[in-house]
Order: sequence, then C-alpha cells, then structure tokens
Amino acid sequence: MRRLIAPLFLSCLLLCVASVAAQTTAPQATAPDDALLQHVLAELGQHQAVRADFVQTRANPALTQPQVSRGQLLFVLNHGMLWQTQSPYAETLALTGRHAARIDAQGHAHPMRDARGMDRISQMLQSMLAGKLDEVLRQFNVVASGTTANWTLRFTPKQERMARVLGSITLSGDAFLEGIRIAMHDGGSTDIRFAHTRDAGPLSALEQRALGLP
Amino acid sequence: MTLPQDMPSRRLKLRAGLFALGTLLVAALGAYLLFGRGQVAIQTDLLAMLPTTEQNPMAEAAVQRLAHANGDRMVLLVENADDDRAKAAARELGKALAQHKVFDSVMAELPPFDLKQMVAPYLAHRFWLLTDADRAALAAPGHDPAQALARRLNAPFLDGVGTSLQDDPFGWLQHWLDQQPWSRSPLLPEDDLLVAHRGDKTYVLVTAALAGSSYDDSVQQRALAALAGAEQSIRHDYPGTHLSRTGAVFYAAAARAGAEHDVHMVGWISSIGIALLLIGMFRSPGPLLLAFLSTAVGVIAATTVSLLVFGQIYLLTLVFGAALLGEAVDYSIQYLTARANAGANWHASTGLRQVRPALLLALATSLLGYALLGLVPFPALRQMSVFAMSGMLAACLSVFGLLPALLQRPARPLSARPVRWALALQRTVNRFGRGARGAGVALLLLLLALPGWWQLGHNDDVHLLIAQPAGLLAQEAQIRDITGLGNGSQFYLVQGANTEQTLQREEALDRRLQSMVDHQQLQGWIGLAGMVPSQQRQQVDHALLAPLMSHPERVRALLAGAGFRANAIDAWLAAWPGTPLTLDAWLKTPLATPFRYLWMGCSAQGCGTIVLPQGTDDDATLQRAADGLPGVSLVDKPASVSQLFGRYRRYASVWLLAAIVLIVPVFGWRYGWRRMPRVMTPPVLGIALTLATLGYLHQPLTLFHWMALMLVLGVGANYAVFLHEGEPHAAHRPGAMYASVLLSAITALLSFGLLSLSSMPALRDFGLTLLLGIGFTALLVPASRAGTMDAAP
Repeated sequence: MRRLIAPLFLSCLLLCVASVAAQTTAPQATAPDDALLQHVLAELGQHQAVRADFVQTRANPALTQPQVSRGQLLFVLNHGMLWQTQSPYAETLALTGRHAARIDAQGHAHPMRDARGMDRISQMLQSMLAGKLDEVLRQFNVVASGTTANWTLRFTPKQERMARVLGSITLSGDAFLEGIRIAMHDGGSTDIRFAHTRDAGPLSALEQRALGLP
Repeated sequence: MTLPQDMPSRRLKLRAGLFALGTLLVAALGAYLLFGRGQVAIQTDLLAMLPTTEQNPMAEAAVQRLAHANGDRMVLLVENADDDRAKAAARELGKALAQHKVFDSVMAELPPFDLKQMVAPYLAHRFWLLTDADRAALAAPGHDPAQALARRLNAPFLDGVGTSLQDDPFGWLQHWLDQQPWSRSPLLPEDDLLVAHRGDKTYVLVTAALAGSSYDDSVQQRALAALAGAEQSIRHDYPGTHLSRTGAVFYAAAARAGAEHDVHMVGWISSIGIALLLIGMFRSPGPLLLAFLSTAVGVIAATTVSLLVFGQIYLLTLVFGAALLGEAVDYSIQYLTARANAGANWHASTGLRQVRPALLLALATSLLGYALLGLVPFPALRQMSVFAMSGMLAACLSVFGLLPALLQRPARPLSARPVRWALALQRTVNRFGRGARGAGVALLLLLLALPGWWQLGHNDDVHLLIAQPAGLLAQEAQIRDITGLGNGSQFYLVQGANTEQTLQREEALDRRLQSMVDHQQLQGWIGLAGMVPSQQRQQVDHALLAPLMSHPERVRALLAGAGFRANAIDAWLAAWPGTPLTLDAWLKTPLATPFRYLWMGCSAQGCGTIVLPQGTDDDATLQRAADGLPGVSLVDKPASVSQLFGRYRRYASVWLLAAIVLIVPVFGWRYGWRRMPRVMTPPVLGIALTLATLGYLHQPLTLFHWMALMLVLGVGANYAVFLHEGEPHAAHRPGAMYASVLLSAITALLSFGLLSLSSMPALRDFGLTLLLGIGFTALLVPASRAGTMDAAP
C-alpha cells in the first residue's frame, strides 16, 4: 500500500502534457452539427478496412521548406493502422492504439517506446470511427460543416493547456476520409492527403501479423 | 486470636497501605506515559512490530523509508460510469476535504504549469542523454544521420510536441523525455484532473496529505470522519459514484478497530465469566473484588513497565494483555481458596505462609516461560514477554502485600457442589492414573496422538502477524492497477562505493529488467538511473554523438539539406557540447521531488538507491534479475519475516524441550526425583495431546502455536504445583484443592480461549493452542498425585 506514491501522480500531473494530443480535455462538449457528424461517422465506419495512398506535407518554423513524404496507409477498424512510408525512405509503422511498432521486412514488430504522440492520434481516429465519439469529445470540441458529399470536421482542444500547443485537427472527405490537417500553435502544420482510397480486401499474412490480427 | 508468630494486623495494614500507595504512583506514571505526552502511546503501525530482518542496515532503512515516505496521505479514486459525474464528484470531494484542517493539502484539480518548464532544464544536457534505441542506432555500423533526420521530420501526424525541431532536430531528447516515468503514467490530465478510462468507467484521482502521522489516533479519527462525510455527500449528489481508497491511515485505523474489538470482547466476556465463577465458588462478592483488584494491579504495572521499556504499546500486546487477566487472577484464587478451606481457623498471615511456596514456584515457572518468549527477537513478542512478566510479578506481589490486610476475617467454605464435582473428576482420573496402569494409559494416549502428529504441517506467512482487511487490499489492488503504480512490497536496493558506481550498478540491473519487460515478465520499474544516467553512460552517449557533432560543416550541410533555417542550425550547433546531468543537481530540481526518496544518500559505508519493480510480485522472477550483480539485492520484507518465522518455529520446538529440562531440576528438588516424573506428566502429556489435536484439526503449526505451548507448560506446571502444595493443607476438604485448580483453569480458558476468536491470526492460533493445552493439562493434573491421595484417605 505504501508504495502507492502520490508524488508520482503529482509529477505526472505536471509533466504529462509533454506527451501529446490526447491530453486535451473537455468540460462540456459543444454540440456539433449532430446530423452531419453522425452521418459522416456512420459512413466512414462502414468500411472495415481501407487502403489509401498518402502524401504528408509538414511545415515547421525551423524549416525553410516543407517536408514531403509519400506512402500507403492500411486502416483496419478496431485494430489500428499500418503507415507505410515509401519516400523519402522506406519504413512501416504499426499503430494499434496500445503501442507503436516498427515492422521489418519479415513482418516482425519492433516496439517503439518513444512514439506515444503519433499513437495517440491514431487512437483518436480509431475510437472516432469505431463509434466511440464520447472518448473524442472528452478531448475536443467538434464542428462539422459542409455537406455529406463534401464535409469537414474540425477538432479543437478544449483545454487551454493543450490548446497552447495544438491549434486544431481538421478532417475532410466524402465517402472516405480525404485529408487530415494538424495545425500547431508555433506555426507548424502537418497536412495529409489521401488518394485512391478503397476497401482493403483481404489482408496479407504480413499485414495481419503486423496488426496483431488472428 | 493472634498467634505469637503472626504478624500483627497493624503491620499487615501498613504494608498494604504502602503497597496501595506504590500502585497508585505506578498507575499515575503509567497514565502519564500513556496519555500525558501529546499523543496516545499506542502503536497502530503494524510494520513496527516486525523484527529487523535485513543483515544490511541500509536495506532496513529503505524498508522504513518506503513505508513512511508516503504513508501519511490518502490516495482516493473516484469512479463513475458517467464521465461528467465522476469529474464533478472528484472536484467536490477535493473541495470538501480541503475544508478540514486535518489535511495539509488536497490534490484534485491540477495546478497550472507550462510545458516549456518540463523541457528547459534538460536542454543543457541534450547531448548527453540517449535512449537505448537511439544509442543502439547510433552505434550500429552504417548509421545514416540523414535518414534518422528524415524519419523524425516525416513521422506520421505529429512532429516534436515535447521538444521543438530547432532544439532537437533528431529527436534524441524527445525520445529520452518520452521514456521518463511521468510520460508513461496511465493517468492523464483531463479537465484539470488526473483521469484514467477503463472499460466504460471514468476514474479520477484525488490525494490528500495528512497534517500529521497516519498512526496518530486523533489524526486518524478526524481524517476518516472528514472522508466519510465527503463520501456520503458525493454519493448523494452524484449517484453511481464509487470511491476506492488506500493509504497507511486506513490500514492503521482497521488494525486499531480490530484490536479494540478484540480487547473489548476478550476483556468483557472473560471479566464477566470470571466474576460469575468466583461468586459461584466463594459465595460472596468480596473475593471477586479482591481478585480483580490483584489483577488490576498486575495490568497497571505491566502497562507502565512496557511503556517505560518500549515507549509505546503495540496493539498485539494490548489484546494479549486482556487475555493475561485470566492467568494473573490465579494467585489471588489460590489465596482465596486457602482462606475458604481454613474456615474459622483462618489467619491472614498464616494463610499467606501456607500458599507462599506454591505461589512463588508458580510465579517462577511462569516467569521462565515468558522469559523464553522474550528471547525471540520480535519487538512485539518481546513486549508481550515484558508485559506478562511484570504483570504476573505485580499480581503475585499484590497477593503478598495487599490481600492479607483485606482478608483478615474467615470466610465460608467453597461452594459444595463444584467441590463434589471436582472430587468425582479427581477420583476418576486417579483411578486411571495409578501406578503401572497410569503408565499404560499414558502410553495409550500417546498412541492415539501419533496419527495427529503425523498430520502436522506448518505455515510461516507474515500475514499471521499482520492481518490486513481483504476489502482494503482489494481497493489497493484496484488503485494500483488503474494508476499503474507500485507493486507489492518488494524492491531492489542498489549499493555502491559512490554515486557513480551506484548508478552504474543500477544500469546493470536496468538492462536485466528491460529484458524482462521485453519478455512480458514485468511491466516496468522506477529507478533513478533511468532519470539520471551514470557519468560513464553519459560519456558513452556523448561520445556516440561526437563523430557527427565535431564536424559542424557536415551537420550544417545535413540540416540545411533537410530544409532547416540557418539560424536554427547555428543555435543548435552552439549548444554542443553542453554539460552532463549530475545526480546532485537533478535532485535539487522540482522535477525530482516525487522521486527524491529513491535516493538513500551516501555515508561512510557507501551510497544506495531504491528500484521499484512494477507488474509482478513473483519473488523468483525478481530475484533472478539481481542474481550475480554486485551491490544489487532484492529486498522483500514480508518474505524475510516469513523466513524468520520459519526459523524460529523450528527453534521453538527445541526451546520447549529446553524449558521442560529447566523445570525438571526445580521439581526434582521440591518433590523428590522419584515423584518428579509424575508431577511433570500432566503438562508434558497436555502438550503432546494438544499437538495431536492440532494435527487432527489440520491446523498448520506456526511460531505462535509453539509460543502458546510454552505457556501451556508454564500454566500446566502451576496447576501441578498448586495441587501438590495445597492438598496437604486441605486434606479435610477432599476435592477443594482440585476445584481451585479447575477454577484457575477455567478462568484461563475464558480469557486465553477467547483469543481464538481474535481478528489477528497470530492470536487466534495462540488462543486455540492454550484452550486445548490448558484443557488437557487441567484434566490430567490429578494424576500427578494419584499415589499420594490413596495413601492418606
């Protein structure tokens, strides 16, 4: 019993924000345009597994020009995603929401102990698409706009503490998710565009293993 | 009426007056020691009762530190299926508790802080701190910094949230900070609270630091009352709210309540039982009051002496003390019986001379038994021994000093019917116990006992002594599970000649622990070397960066190629080489506050640090990690205490034999060597039969069973002594002496026997053994005079 050291809590309280986006918080969710939001989520949630090509463009105040990377994404509802960068380097990351891992050519996972940030965002996408919107609404205010054929969901952190770092996360799309834009308060931003989005079809053995599927 | 050799009653009265005065002084001193020094000197910290088990003094100090460093606070977890309700309830709980002065500080809502403050202190050391993964990558042949940079810049979704790109282009410091304990907690700030989500439930953490010790009675009561009030109101205001709690204060309060319940139960039931018995036997309330007076003198003296010797009283002693009433009353019973048997010929001082040998012999065997108990190096047992010895001595002295003055007039003889019953029982036992037939019966009893002995097992679990309520343990386990903190009570102690060696040794341990984590044998651990690496490791890490950093033009080209602005590159290059992080400096930072207690400091014997494993309590697994590492030892207090219990349990059987051997010459001297075996038989056979019965009951033997058997020997020998010494003086009243022995036995059974209903397993074992042992011995004791009685009918 004595080992239950409260100072740890205190430290975590002081320091946790150093990790990432999920730490934003919410007293009361501002009611989003419910009908559109529900429609969009229902639509997106219909696809059990989706493949897409992505282009990620990142701007940062320390950089004179944006960084651009390209690759393929496999998103499996309730299980996580494989983020396969093909240029400027080749690497596959598995983000399952519980942990992040680097996947080698044989499909073996090498856990990454320092990837809490990206894993949080992937977890947030996962819970949203799996219909667990309240988990996301604890963290963000959501504003839905546009039409069902061309929609935008804008997530802003509810809590000042997080809002100091993260500006907003914007999702846009039609039947599929077309883009994610993450704007930071220091002027940095990450813009991800998806193309050629389609239902994934059967997963390869390597993909199944990488995502920990049976 | 006064015989020439008798003391004049005036002198008896003077002696009694002095004795009473002395008792009052002792009582006053006791009251002062108990209540007069701020807080009540009753020790509710169960850990304090445990013996010193560690060879290594620093390990023992570390055990104490861990137990107390954070003992003086409540850790509360508010749970509700409804997220808003859980959070609102936690806020209300925090506010409600904060209104009470008994809490120093209450933490529900988080204080404001700035993210930059978390990173800034590390910037100067950023070229000295690497994660295992980065270290391995940098050391690998063919490491390509350009590619590492590209990975950082193009990581999915987010780039440096902790450290900015210009401060940390490669993310080395970011990775390192991500591995710090505060970044790995399952509790996250949400709505200014520390929150975890499990299943569909929300859990919110609230902690409250006490303005005093958890073991302080008044702090305990006020804190628990404040919590109970607050809990009731949040349950009412936010239906469905559940509150889990842990903290030393709850365990201490539970221990105190259990002991109080025991003291009340044992104390009251045995007092009432003894009162009824005495009134029934002596047919007048006077003797009853005197018996209690003598017992009270014993308890007062025992409490005062224990406080003088130990400064405080353990709960265990208190409960044991309540049971001791039943033995202390024996002395006055003997004196009262002598008076009742003397009838009209009673004279207080002659009576005293008559019982003196019996009382002194009985006292000597009792003191011998308790002195052996005191040889066990457990603080709690030592205190029980001192308590018992001083109590018995004072009770016996009160019979010599106080009672004669108050018992000058003759009394009615003992109630006739119990004496008749006693005589009938005595005759029956005698018939079987006579001569060779007695030996045959004894042999038969031993044969019956044999299968029972065969079934004896043993148990040395520390929880015999420390019984923690299951409900509290379950809540603690839940809080531990949800907050991801602490495991049981095991930890590693790492020692070295100096700070540097200590940290290096911890790093060796950390490598093993990491591999256990990789193999899912362990969840993680908390240790200082993860937060402040050794200088050696920092040098190695720094050296790994040197090939790149010592060529600024290469770095410049690399970063410029990736699109970095020139001023960002310049600023970063200017920060090289920076300085290594030192433990002393780090310990002074506010960031270190929660972990400072892990550092045991340095002395002439060297330095030490504590490493807390999380996620397993398997001793063998944890021990493997420490095997063969210099300066690293696994400290497991409960396991050590259990081992000690086991060791002393094995010794105890030898001690019991030694005690029997010690009594043999005393009895041989007093009763002759030919009669001695017969006098010794009842207590020894009583012990043998008790062991057999425990075997038949499938009661695993503990140290406490053996301790009780030593008392059985002492008390059983008393009965043999009382019967032998008293019978010649009561020849005109057959059965009266045995009736008084039975009276003593029943009072002992009433008090010690009730311990078998105690909430503490140790006392339960103790009580059951005494119940059986005293019962058997009291039944067998007439056999010790089987020959004599028929010779003089």
